[in-house]
Amino acid sequence: MAELTVFSYRCGTSILHKLDVRFKLFFLILISFTVIKADFTALFIISFMLITVLVYIRFPIISSSRDLRYFFILILLVFFARAFSTPGSALIEWRFIVISKQGVYEGVVVCWRLFLVVFLSLAFVSTTRPSEIKAAVEWFLIPFPFIPRKRIAIMMSLIMRFMPVIYEQVKDTADAQRARCIENKKNPIYRLIKLLIPIIRRTFEGADDLVLAMEARCFSENRTDPVLSSSPKDWVALFIIMCLCFVIVKL
Amino acid sequence: MNIIEIKNLSHSFVDGTLGIDGINLSINEGEFIVIGGQNGSGKTTLLKHLNGLLLPTKGTVLVEGVEVSRNIKKARQIVGMVFQNADSQIVGETVYADVAFGPENLCLERQEIEKRVSAALESVGLTQHADKRPHLLSGGEKRRLSIAGILAMVPKIIVFDEPFSSLDYPGSRQVLKQILSLHQSGHTILVTTHDIEKVIAHANRLLIMQDGKVARDGTPDKIIQEAEVFGVRAPCATRLGVEVASWLS
Repeated sequence: MAELTVFSYRCGTSILHKLDVRFKLFFLILISFTVIKADFTALFIISFMLITVLVYIRFPIISSSRDLRYFFILILLVFFARAFSTPGSALIEWRFIVISKQGVYEGVVVCWRLFLVVFLSLAFVSTTRPSEIKAAVEWFLIPFPFIPRKRIAIMMSLIMRFMPVIYEQVKDTADAQRARCIENKKNPIYRLIKLLIPIIRRTFEGADDLVLAMEARCFSENRTDPVLSSSPKDWVALFIIMCLCFVIVKL
Repeated sequence: MNIIEIKNLSHSFVDGTLGIDGINLSINEGEFIVIGGQNGSGKTTLLKHLNGLLLPTKGTVLVEGVEVSRNIKKARQIVGMVFQNADSQIVGETVYADVAFGPENLCLERQEIEKRVSAALESVGLTQHADKRPHLLSGGEKRRLSIAGILAMVPKIIVFDEPFSSLDYPGSRQVLKQILSLHQSGHTILVTTHDIEKVIAHANRLLIMQDGKVARDGTPDKIIQEAEVFGVRAPCATRLGVEVASWLS
């Protein structure tokens, strides 16, 4: 059996679990924009609030860090890119390599912001059923008649459904190749190609089966719409979040 | 009454290979049919014609007296199909969402969908897993979820394509129990398998396919002795000359 990943919905009874998904999606967008505008002090405040929320919803922060290891590598790369490329007074200088104070500051702020946006999204995903996210996206697309919202909603649903399956396939294929000593080949491109080809082939074969299975269950874009409903607590939450974002931006 | 009537059915694939060749078949309401045959004998191709996933190159398929190609949606509602690979059949991101997929496609009212999903989950014993992600289920549970997805569309005929493949003994027994309970509740059942031992004790008709044709058709006790001629392994009990026992006993 596959494991529960960091990107999974976790059942719960917190206020965050009970809020209307459309409001939650709006909050996510609003807070993400606020984070982008935030300076050091504001980032501290947002981080404190986010950690409180994560603890409140019982998000497994420490065990999730393992699943996010590749994201941490990306963050590190972003930091170094900023640190090396931002001009300013030199902090470390060795031959032609210069790391500026401003670069380090910029790197820390950018990584911090990225970090916060990712953990905000994780808080959202772990308290919202995938079907609700799909329904909210479908709802937000109503004003755009030229966008096939039902098709997009189904595509989202399928991505959410099949990501773990593809992840399992990657693990299976990698194990099968390790069992045949792929590690003896030092060329990473050779190894990547040998991994990608069977995965892509299996994914496309799976897609063919999926099409048949969907057709067998009468799939069409003319389907029953999802039901969404808001309550007074959603509006109260909206007021509080908007006030907080305004204050943080004005700091 | 014949719920399915197949007349002179042939199907050629794009590369010219003949998948099935001149099949004539009548299936009565409430029958439990096992279709045996080697890999590539045309079992799955035949099943896919029953709900219009494939359309005949020649001949006709009638479901409840209506030609499948004339009303494919209706045929798919009447003939529910459980695929060999449960992983590719499950489309919902949660167990509940997957079972609701079919009724949503039928544009039913939300209340009716909820009623059907609850009933389907209850009948396969997955109610407590409603909020679970499907990939976290065991092999047998995934197969039962596929069945629930079909049940929510209230079909009269349920076709199972290799329902026991990749399942362990308890998983196979769970699925077999489910198939039998569906048959008892009045559904017409068609099961394709290359390993007939698991299910033959419960069937009242056995079809053996070879090279796209129905090579043998009759009651299991009359045909089963000949199964190995067509590359289908006969149950051990038959070899020993005793009655085939159910996997559930």
